[in-house]
Amino acid sequence: MSFVVRNRIGLLLLLLLVVGWAAGCTLSPGPAVVSTSASDSPSGEAVPSASESIVLTLPGEDWGYPSPFAFYSRGPGYIRMSFLFDTLTWKDEDGVIPWLADGWDTSEDGTAWTFTLHPGITWHDGTPLTAEDVAFTFEYFKEHQASFTWSWSVDKIAGTEVVDEHTVTLYLTEPIAGCHESLVGSLPIIPRHIWEGVDDPVKFLAEEAIVGSGPFKLVEYSKEEGRYVYEANPDYFMGCPVVDQLVFVQVENQALALKTGTTDYASFSGKELDAAQVFDGDPNYRHIDGPSFWVLQLIFNATRAPFDNVDLRRAVAHAVDRVRIVEQVTHGGAIVANLGVISPSVGWYNPNLPAYEYDPARSRGMLDELGMRELSVTLITTADYAREAEFIQADLEQIGIQVDLKTGDRSTVDGLLREGNFDLAIGGHGGIANPAILRVPTWPANSYVNETYDRLYQEQARTVDEERRRETVWQLQQTIADDLPVLTLWHPKVRTVFDHSKLDTWFYTDGGVGFGIPLSMNKMIFLGR
Amino acid sequence: MNDLMQVVRGKQLASGGLAVLVTFGLLAVLAPMLSPYTPTEMDVPMQSPSGLHPLGTDDVGHDILTELLHGARFSLLVGFISASLSTAIGVVLGLLAGYYGKLGFTIMRVVDIFLAIPRFPLIVFLAAFLRPGLWTLALFFLLFGWARTSRLVRSQVLGERASGYVEAARVMGAGDPHIILRHLLPSTVPVALSRFIVEFQHVILAESGLSFLGLGDPTTKSWGMMLHYAFQYPTIFISDVWVWWAVPPGLCITLVVLALTFSGFAVEELANPRLRESRQHCRDEAPSGHKATSTRTGSVRPAAEAFVGGR
Amino acid sequence: MRVVQYLVTLIVLLSLNFLLPRMMPGDPLSCLVGDPGADAPILLTEEMRENLLEYYGLDKPLMEQYRDYLAGLVTGDLGWSIYYNAPVTSVLLGRLKWTLFLSGTAAVIYTVLGVLLGAVSAWKRGTKVDVGLVTTVFSLGSWPPFFLGMLLIIVFSFKLGAFPIGGAQSPAAVQAGGLAQVKDVLHHWFLPCLALVLTHLPGIYLLTRNSMLSVLGEDYVRTARSKGLREFRVLLRHALPNALLPIVTTIAMRFGFAIMGAMFVEVVFAYPGMGTLIYQAGAARDYPLLQGGFLLTMTFVVFFNLMADLLYARLDPRARFV
Repeated sequence: MSFVVRNRIGLLLLLLLVVGWAAGCTLSPGPAVVSTSASDSPSGEAVPSASESIVLTLPGEDWGYPSPFAFYSRGPGYIRMSFLFDTLTWKDEDGVIPWLADGWDTSEDGTAWTFTLHPGITWHDGTPLTAEDVAFTFEYFKEHQASFTWSWSVDKIAGTEVVDEHTVTLYLTEPIAGCHESLVGSLPIIPRHIWEGVDDPVKFLAEEAIVGSGPFKLVEYSKEEGRYVYEANPDYFMGCPVVDQLVFVQVENQALALKTGTTDYASFSGKELDAAQVFDGDPNYRHIDGPSFWVLQLIFNATRAPFDNVDLRRAVAHAVDRVRIVEQVTHGGAIVANLGVISPSVGWYNPNLPAYEYDPARSRGMLDELGMRELSVTLITTADYAREAEFIQADLEQIGIQVDLKTGDRSTVDGLLREGNFDLAIGGHGGIANPAILRVPTWPANSYVNETYDRLYQEQARTVDEERRRETVWQLQQTIADDLPVLTLWHPKVRTVFDHSKLDTWFYTDGGVGFGIPLSMNKMIFLGR
Repeated sequence: MNDLMQVVRGKQLASGGLAVLVTFGLLAVLAPMLSPYTPTEMDVPMQSPSGLHPLGTDDVGHDILTELLHGARFSLLVGFISASLSTAIGVVLGLLAGYYGKLGFTIMRVVDIFLAIPRFPLIVFLAAFLRPGLWTLALFFLLFGWARTSRLVRSQVLGERASGYVEAARVMGAGDPHIILRHLLPSTVPVALSRFIVEFQHVILAESGLSFLGLGDPTTKSWGMMLHYAFQYPTIFISDVWVWWAVPPGLCITLVVLALTFSGFAVEELANPRLRESRQHCRDEAPSGHKATSTRTGSVRPAAEAFVGGR
Repeated sequence: MRVVQYLVTLIVLLSLNFLLPRMMPGDPLSCLVGDPGADAPILLTEEMRENLLEYYGLDKPLMEQYRDYLAGLVTGDLGWSIYYNAPVTSVLLGRLKWTLFLSGTAAVIYTVLGVLLGAVSAWKRGTKVDVGLVTTVFSLGSWPPFFLGMLLIIVFSFKLGAFPIGGAQSPAAVQAGGLAQVKDVLHHWFLPCLALVLTHLPGIYLLTRNSMLSVLGEDYVRTARSKGLREFRVLLRHALPNALLPIVTTIAMRFGFAIMGAMFVEVVFAYPGMGTLIYQAGAARDYPLLQGGFLLTMTFVVFFNLMADLLYARLDPRARFV
């Protein structure tokens, strides 16, 4: 009897498993499959012969459904979306180029931009793209500006005017410096006939949400597997992409994936550059080196003792051996950072800043003068920078400052930073190609207050003339280097390694893709050159 | 105690296990003397094994052998502390729950809740708080270890009570504390020992897992942290670094867990003499001399479950 | 009575489910936007923060959120995942199918294998077979699961190139569909399943072995043997079923925990399962998803506990009156 029962129980459990799995398969949305383009091979064969098509596999993960509102703003989700949607202007290695707009005029005061659209552009569903769509886009983004977080200047849109089918004027409340990055070159144009009736754009996940004008159409998106499959749009106004299929897969380790041929591309930065060296000398791979748009900083809480004292901050700057940190921790995968935050590979870089030579004896002297001995402070960071934290702890101990190192996960550390509940913190951020990043919330808002700085920042944000803007941006960097709200540590070097038999047109976009994403994944690469 | 020595001497696996444990214990205690460097000393990073560094150096130049020896200290210590505390609390609560019915009911309901909560989501929860250091870890594992121990101890106590001598003792005028401490507590020793071993293994494996995920204290010198930094290193898969950086700590963890398992066999045999004696007879011969039969039935299940139930 | 007990437990767990994520320091917004390490430079001003909090209903008073949560549970609406920008139900189900596939099949395999090997070990007690089995099973199964996974990848995926380095499927196979896709799924499934089986095998194996040993010493086994029954029949028909009885509850309960037990293996193999989901949701403080995930896990566990108890009561008449 127990035999039969055992079998029955076994069967029951098996049944449960099967039911559970079936339920999962049927009830979950699964990979979103969109109708494929008309150029599908008639016999239904999925993969055409290798000599006729290029399928490029790239590493990535789930960055959200690539509609203009639903992608996750925390990473390269924007890039996933940019393959499907276009902007009025775009950038290549050298700078701004026309895209959807063939040309544009700006008014004297810089508050009115008139764009002339390239003729004959259609949406993926065949409807023509007109000035109505452009006007609608700006109005719509302005209306829903609370729904997304990645465009900095949408609040400066005053209004739009459709002049004719291919001409549209955009009115701003004030001139925007770097308008191409912040607005015109980063806001994707969306089809009015689809988005007109949508109230909650973030939750709009229907198939129509990804109908754009871009060089690719989305064929499959699997959230749980982090897989995106794009197919070339043969009717693209800039020409059919040379890559027939673009596939993103999730991998644990990019070097391993590239080495085993699972992917055709890998991107390395900072400490990861050790892995890039494995591909040196292998004729199958080529690489390009890119500009550094990222910085790691030691952040002071300058609103409370002891680091509200600028001389103490300067003493710390002399005590931290940044060169050694770069050597031991990053193994040469980074460069010692510019004290003014903006990296040397960016045009806005100010090379005339004061240096704080590594000189622990001098630090100790300064501390003595300040009458501060036997200080005890807290340093918070995430596990990613634990190594740097150890070095800093050792360096500060040398001059008599006891550092209590606390690590936590990102949300915890963020929470503490916002509350101002720390003395020192280690954190980093990107986007330093764009001086707009220098506004105070780059580091915790509660950690540094300086009205002069704020004024300067607002000024450069409005200065459209590059030369004058450069002066102000240099001043900002000077202030940071003098006042040291943060002690910058390193900028990572960046390298892309790729299998050149598949595609050889990789480049790094000037100032980063769109609003400043530093990856070498500009959609122009896939159009061939 | 005599029983234990007899069993251990006879069984090679168990004595082997104990020998390994003792070795690791010694290494842990003597680590500062045996290490060629200090754990915070930094040399040239990523060196392969050489005369200077028998196991090479890690990504910031720490000597790996030194880290390994000091790792033994942390890993064994945190395992020992958690396991001891959780076993102690589990035994106490289990005794009380088994002896006092009403209190027992409440305790068991709490136990049910704790047993229903899966450990790892809670690890994620707890790791959100700062300072995942030695005592936080120990406290955390203690929180989850005691429940199963107390349930098993309670079963044991119920079984003992059913066998009658408890009633007899009470009739003779023995007070509750006397019964609990003198009669019931000793009978829980095998279960407690089994659970101690299991919890020890659990903690060592879990600490390594937590550290691997990056949720541990990054400055601790533990085997788990060594593995964390090793597997974070970009070329860990495609170069040979894993051989001298990842394998030693991984192997150490495995050896300690194995050694604990084999030592545990000795404990099992203590708990269930039936396991012990049938070894002395041929398979075909009917096992005679049932020295301890029916009275021990109650203890088979808890002991067996104690050993593997909680994995 | 049992069922009432479980209901109470469930209610307590549900409330904990709601409270615990909110007790963690930090909030869902830190990870929602501007992960500075992920290339895109996005900063949240206080105003944007407030907007987002309002949008996700996080600025409502706690009691109101709790009421919404319970109301949602009753209607089956688990809310909207902040981190993944999709309904919680769909996020969970998308992962659940893979977890059930991987952990479920692994559980079946290691249970069956563990029982068989344990029984054989008990039968051949003390011989080379027994010692050999014990040593092998434990030597292979005492590795930390993530370490074992890494070793498998290095040896079989990288050095030998025999298996993929991770993931659940290859994009090409997904497009091809049909048999090619099935083969591809199995190809990706093999190594993580192997890691899980090796890690969990010792538990069941030992449990069965010990239980069998007790049973083999019992009188009725002696009787069966002396009746002249073949050894194999004695084992299978008399010894094994009775040996399984005390441990069937443990085995059933393990199925419940199997859902979370694969987290490390999932991380290492980039397998899209519940383990990594819950971990990510925790790190991102995605309250609705955490609630949903915990709920699902705890339901599984409680369900299997209940099954285990009911099963045992059915199988062992002696236990019915406990």
